[in-house]
Amino acid sequence: MKSYLATAARALATTFTNAFRKPVTVEFPDVIRPRAERYRASFALLHEEDGDEACIGCLQCERICPSEVISIKAGGKRESPITGKKRGYADDFVLDLNACIYCELCVQVCPTDAIVMTREPELPAFGREDLVLTMAKLYANEKSKHRAWGDATRLNGMQVPPKPPKAEAPAAVSAASATGAPATAAPSARTVAPAAAATPASSGASSAPASATALPAASPPASSPSAALASAPVPPIATPGAAVVPLPAPDTAPGQGPAGETPGTAPAVSTAERGPVPPDSSREGTS
Amino acid sequence: MNEGLVHGAVYSVLIVTVVLTATAMALWFERKFAARLQTRLGPTMVGPSGLLQPVADLLKLLQKEDIVPEKADSIIFNLVPPLAALTALGAAAVVPFSPTVVASDLDVGVLYVLAIGAVTVLPVFGAGWASNNKLALLGGMRAVAQSVSYEVPLLLSAMVPVILSGSLRFGAIVQMQADHHWFVVWPFFIGVPAFGIFLLAMLAEANRIPFDIPEAESELVAGVTTEYTGMKFALFYMAEYIHTIVASAVGAALFLGGWDGPFWPGLHWMVLKTLLLFTVVYWVRWSLLRFRSDQLMGLCWKYLVPASVLLVGASAAWVVFR
Repeated sequence: MKSYLATAARALATTFTNAFRKPVTVEFPDVIRPRAERYRASFALLHEEDGDEACIGCLQCERICPSEVISIKAGGKRESPITGKKRGYADDFVLDLNACIYCELCVQVCPTDAIVMTREPELPAFGREDLVLTMAKLYANEKSKHRAWGDATRLNGMQVPPKPPKAEAPAAVSAASATGAPATAAPSARTVAPAAAATPASSGASSAPASATALPAASPPASSPSAALASAPVPPIATPGAAVVPLPAPDTAPGQGPAGETPGTAPAVSTAERGPVPPDSSREGTS
Repeated sequence: MNEGLVHGAVYSVLIVTVVLTATAMALWFERKFAARLQTRLGPTMVGPSGLLQPVADLLKLLQKEDIVPEKADSIIFNLVPPLAALTALGAAAVVPFSPTVVASDLDVGVLYVLAIGAVTVLPVFGAGWASNNKLALLGGMRAVAQSVSYEVPLLLSAMVPVILSGSLRFGAIVQMQADHHWFVVWPFFIGVPAFGIFLLAMLAEANRIPFDIPEAESELVAGVTTEYTGMKFALFYMAEYIHTIVASAVGAALFLGGWDGPFWPGLHWMVLKTLLLFTVVYWVRWSLLRFRSDQLMGLCWKYLVPASVLLVGASAAWVVFR
């Protein structure tokens, strides 16, 4: 009885102080909280730079999908109407969002970065059929929706174990790794590109560590979604015989971090800038 | 037609209207208040600050299908929801809001309130029995056990102001406090514990948390109201709120000096005190957990009953030897 009274008094005191605190409620339709950096809601299929469909109909996403929501009709090899080269195509591509668990595995396995996820805030629908993404809808999403951070290249880049920073690395770089940011710097060239994406939040590459520790709320939610996160995994590491080149002014479009190039290694490719590159070249990050 | 009858009829209509309106607002108030205790906002969408939420709730409940289970005792099943609301409302008849604003200042007002309060358990048990549902029946049995037990400390603690003022009439009890001191102020060593016991027993009578084992939604689905839908459920729900409001008013009249206040005595003080007590009841409701059945009985018989017997004796001694 005594302990109950003490507990009851504590409970009453807690609720009493709560009554004078500011409510934590965010009035949702009026106020939309900034989405997390890796927030993703729907899908888009992308085109190559030359206008050709990026999907080669390899069925890898269909095979890896845990909830089996992707069904592809592979079209077999035929000549590209644009480049004239023989390559695979998907005749039909249907993704049923009703059962999708948003694991992003399909994005991760895509050999051509053809499928990506998008960042639209909510995905309500009036019927189940509205949530079945047909090929036409998926290609329409490429134009109309903001893209999420991840594509196959970037996601696979994160799988590479971090490399200890070199002694001659710039001070900013060692500071970045000292903050515990998981450095996924691959021996390949793509190390520089995400660091460039960090610059919208800061003013230059030297202040990248600051943005690496910045809260997601601090960065504008839609315009530069990948700013803080992109800078975290990949501090620019100077490899022997390769100087970090000054970064160009970054394009702030989501998922389109401009690729800076490091001389002496393979060119960094992002989805936006990839030209008619053979599909296999984008898999280098996995090594 | 004699004057008392007209007076009673007019004030009955007035008080019933006021109490029912207050009940609707209490729904809104509880949701807002509970939300603030949990650092939420509560209803904000329907009307300014969600003020029209009770109206929306009522419309929703009106639209619901009215179901009487096939094996239920349909006569009792249909009879008890209005009975529950009426018995809860009945006690409001003798509550003195001011020296003049009272439907009927019965000579045995306190006795009447306690008697009506004791009857409120009947519809609850009737609902549990008539539903032909084991959960409802369990809830009804718990309600009877709880109500019968807590009737004792409620009655004994209500006797304290009766003994101190020497009258069963609410008007006289409040007038006594207005002339001398509120019973929680002097003699506070009798008034304050008696008021505490009265508050606890009142909570138990109204089946509110932490004494809501007849409902016990986590154990008994919805207890006695399991089989009730739509307006019948709404009547039970309403009865609970009416009971809380009326019991708060009774408590304010018995212990907190009713319409008396530091300045400008009148109706507003009674309303203010009733609302204060009502708020305390909801503060407790949204802070504490439910008692287990045996803890409930233990609290009543081991602590509250002996304490209230002592208080009755003490108040008698106070009156005699002061």
